[in-house]
Amino acid sequence: MEVIISKNNSETIAEFIGRLDTPASPEVAKAVEPLMQDAAGTIILDCTQMSYISSSGLRIFLTLRKASVSNGGRIIIRNISNDIRQVFMMTGFLNLFEIE
Amino acid sequence: MKIAKPETIARVKQAARAGLLLVIVAALTLEATSIIQYIYSQKGIKEEASLRAQSEMEATKLKVINVVDQAETAVRNSMWIASWCLDIPDSMHAVTRRLVKDNPVVIGSCIAMVPGYSKKYPLYAPYTCIEDGKLADKSLAGEQYDYPSQEWFTKPLETKGGYWSEPYFDEGGGNVLMTTYSVPITDRYGKIAAVFTADISLDWLTDLVGSVKVYPSAFSMMFSRSGKIMVGPVDSIVMNKSISEMSSESKDSAVLGPLSRTILAGGTGSMPIELRGKKNYVYYSPVERTGWSMSIVIPDEEIFGNIRKLGLVVKLLQLLGIAMLILILRSVIKSQVEFSQLEESKEKMEHELQIARDIQMSMLPKFFPPFPERHDLDMCADLVSAKEVGGDLYDFYIRDERLFFCIGDVSGKGVPASLVMAVTRSLFRTVSAHEKSPQRIVTAMNESMSDMNENNMFVTFFCGVLDLTTGHLRYCNAGHNGPVILTDHKDFLPVEPNLPLGIIAGMSFKEQETDLHYDDALFLYTDGLTEAENINHELFGEERMLAALSGRRPSQEHLSNMQNAVAGFVGDAGQSDDLTMLFIHYLNDVMPNTSERHLILHNDIQQIPQLAEFVQTIADEKHLDQSQAMGLNLALEEAVTNVIMYAYPEGSDGLVEVEAILKKDALEFILTDSGKPFDPTATPEADTTLGVEDRPVGGLGIYLVRNIMDTVTYRREDGKNILTMIKKI
Repeated sequence: MEVIISKNNSETIAEFIGRLDTPASPEVAKAVEPLMQDAAGTIILDCTQMSYISSSGLRIFLTLRKASVSNGGRIIIRNISNDIRQVFMMTGFLNLFEIE
Repeated sequence: MKIAKPETIARVKQAARAGLLLVIVAALTLEATSIIQYIYSQKGIKEEASLRAQSEMEATKLKVINVVDQAETAVRNSMWIASWCLDIPDSMHAVTRRLVKDNPVVIGSCIAMVPGYSKKYPLYAPYTCIEDGKLADKSLAGEQYDYPSQEWFTKPLETKGGYWSEPYFDEGGGNVLMTTYSVPITDRYGKIAAVFTADISLDWLTDLVGSVKVYPSAFSMMFSRSGKIMVGPVDSIVMNKSISEMSSESKDSAVLGPLSRTILAGGTGSMPIELRGKKNYVYYSPVERTGWSMSIVIPDEEIFGNIRKLGLVVKLLQLLGIAMLILILRSVIKSQVEFSQLEESKEKMEHELQIARDIQMSMLPKFFPPFPERHDLDMCADLVSAKEVGGDLYDFYIRDERLFFCIGDVSGKGVPASLVMAVTRSLFRTVSAHEKSPQRIVTAMNESMSDMNENNMFVTFFCGVLDLTTGHLRYCNAGHNGPVILTDHKDFLPVEPNLPLGIIAGMSFKEQETDLHYDDALFLYTDGLTEAENINHELFGEERMLAALSGRRPSQEHLSNMQNAVAGFVGDAGQSDDLTMLFIHYLNDVMPNTSERHLILHNDIQQIPQLAEFVQTIADEKHLDQSQAMGLNLALEEAVTNVIMYAYPEGSDGLVEVEAILKKDALEFILTDSGKPFDPTATPEADTTLGVEDRPVGGLGIYLVRNIMDTVTYRREDGKNILTMIKKI
């Protein structure tokens, strides 16, 4: 799993590439830690190349969301596959996130 | 001695009462008939007796009148010459002589001159009679015989006509009864000059009247004008007694008095009279011109003797008839009793047959479902005998995870077939207890049955052994109808015909095999099904049978459908042969060889990719799409992660065993670990409706497992956590 973080004006973009499974999640959690500093702004989680997510991955997304909410920022999830959308729907995450 | 049942005794009593009534009615009817018949016969016989008496009297009277007529005619014919001779009295003898000579009935004749008519002879009566067979001329005029005062002389002068005298005994010769006919003769001036007579012997009258025998003991009588008995049953009374004297002297005068008066008055008729205490009938009738009367006396006994005898005979016959009727009724009642006893023994036999049927039925598995604890087998069967006991059989049982089953049909029906059926079924159990090859089972059974088969009874038989773990079926047919195999299609199971059991020892039977898959079924039956007849004698046949087997369905439904189809076809025709059906529905969906996958992981999160690979392999094998594969992967990862993270104390090594069972329409995953007891299914359901702030970050893993999988169950066994997850596909 690879996470690429980039900045574009006021938006912070995190790009997830590969499988966000349990073994991968500690690394990813570490990788997205810097995003917390931009929690007041807009964070875009680009899932175009994310093929899989497990509950530990969802937990990372939720942690980010909570930080964003407490700081008055925005989190936008971009381009999730239908299969992952199913998982989001199942878990109620569709209601917690802005999804593009 | 058999003791009859109370109902039988009651029936017999009832029959006896009816019989007695019948006898009484018959006796009364016979009696009434015979009385009526007797009365009518008596009347007829009485009429006949009267008719006979009267006709006899008529005939007798005719004969008498004939003689009387002859005498009168003879006299009349000679009257002119007698008249002519009045002037020449000496020639008168010639006239009388000629009359006697020419007329055999006349035995004497006289011309008696009215006294004083002839100047020459104041009293003159020339007379001719037969004396010693010769004619003798005599004179009745004499001192000792005052002819002018005789009745025969005075009456004609009084009446101026012919007169028949009272009968009298001839004083001249013998005891000859006589009567005299006399007529007056007038001269040429019309003056009565003489009386011309002809004597007639009445000997013939005694013979004539005496010969009238209407009945053997009847007798006839002739009375004169004054009632003198001219002819009677006893000689001593003849001419001695008159009828009036006789009746007044008799003890029965009260009866005889009126009778004698009637007879003397010239009456005709009949009258019953008592004579010496015995009843008689008297018939009487007058003899014209002579003033006589004839009567016939017939004893009552003579008239009615025969009919009384007949009555007696009839009575005897009646008694005989009644006696015979009683005998017949007795024997009928006796046979009724025997019949009842026969009925009883028939009932007993039927009862025994019922027991035999129960015994026979108890040999067959008859509780369905037969193996309720097994989910891989769904069976049902039905056997209906055409008679109380039958020759069809089926049997099945499970040994070492193999289903041994058979169906058979003994030739013939009824008790003999049922005995062979029982033997066949026992043999099947005995032989199959040590054999798992249907061919060897059938061969061994055939050897035994051929050996002991003295009645040439044979059994068509189909035997199969189904390996329940693999669905592999081995079977051997011995002349039985080929079963139907129900897969996606319905086909007859290919069978070697082979010979039925019990025909030839040493026969070799061929074994065949096939595989049953999940939800396949076998349908076994006897020819009672295909050869069930309707009222038009059409057969149910294989086509109708196959048509009734539709789709994949529980065996009980198949059986009901088939029962309805055959019942609908047969209608009112009734069952003619034993009918047996057996459904074997195979429901074991374990696929051999590829059925299970195993994976063992350490409690290291880095092992998860191996799990992902394992799951993907299974998904590929089952041709699951990416979405399904991902869902499975996610659920498995979450469940295994849970064990890796929490089951074992940190730092210690532990294992997670993953067993995957691939079924046709489901995947079953069993996770086993030896960690601390933990039931993930007992954790509360995550609330996915909460907002961001309230939403806990944990608990999603178990939530996903439960949502993705169809069934999740946990159990703790032998210190192990066992989590079973099933996903339908």
